[in-house]
Amino acid sequence: MEFSYEVKDSYAEVKADGRLNMVSAPKLREFVTDVIAGGSSRIVVNLENTAFMDSSGLGALIGCLKAARQAGGDLRIAGVQPQVKMVLELTSMDRVLTAYASAEEAFSND
Amino acid sequence: MTDVLAQRSFRGLSAAEAIESVHNELDGLWEDAPFVQAMDQMTFTTAVIESASNIVQHAVPAKAQKPVELGVEISVQPSLLQARVSAFYAKPPFGPLKPGTPDDDSESGRGLALIEALVTTVTFERQNGTNTWILTRTSQS
Repeated sequence: MEFSYEVKDSYAEVKADGRLNMVSAPKLREFVTDVIAGGSSRIVVNLENTAFMDSSGLGALIGCLKAARQAGGDLRIAGVQPQVKMVLELTSMDRVLTAYASAEEAFSND
Repeated sequence: MTDVLAQRSFRGLSAAEAIESVHNELDGLWEDAPFVQAMDQMTFTTAVIESASNIVQHAVPAKAQKPVELGVEISVQPSLLQARVSAFYAKPPFGPLKPGTPDDDSESGRGLALIEALVTTVTFERQNGTNTWILTRTSQS
């Protein structure tokens, strides 16, 4: 899995490309923690190239969400693909991690 | 005699890197069996990876000098997907085998419930020091 980020006007967009599993989940958490430490607490995780996510990956997203909120911001997800959507729905975590069609839309109403 | 249309397997040390290898075997299996519906591929892949990850995270060696090995055998049969996900040289699983109900803030504890939601049956057996979870999914096709 490859991570990258870009600071936009009102949020930072984190891209996570590949499989979000028990190997990459701790790396995502570390990556997002660093982005928050760099001063961006409004995070959009763009999952358009995340083909797979398991419960470890979901746990990492929840950890990142908590870290963003503790820093006074929030974390939202965008570009969710069918497998990730399925995992979010089956665990009922789609209530907690709101999915937006695109990264641009995630904070557009704030 | 069971009619196996495609099969793949993996065996190696129970370590995080093994999960990528299992995933690659699953990708290869679906290339060999493209007639399996996309929904079945997606759900079964998720269940197998969850089960294998569960072993990597929680299996405890029965003897200190012999590390746990992960074994995965996946087969495609007419209208049935089956996986045997095994922890070799492991102690019997400790603690509840029932899925928990973590709260929204919890970062773990969702794997077992997810597996049960994804497959038709989950069976556990312990034989000769090996813990095996047998997952089946009745194919939609």
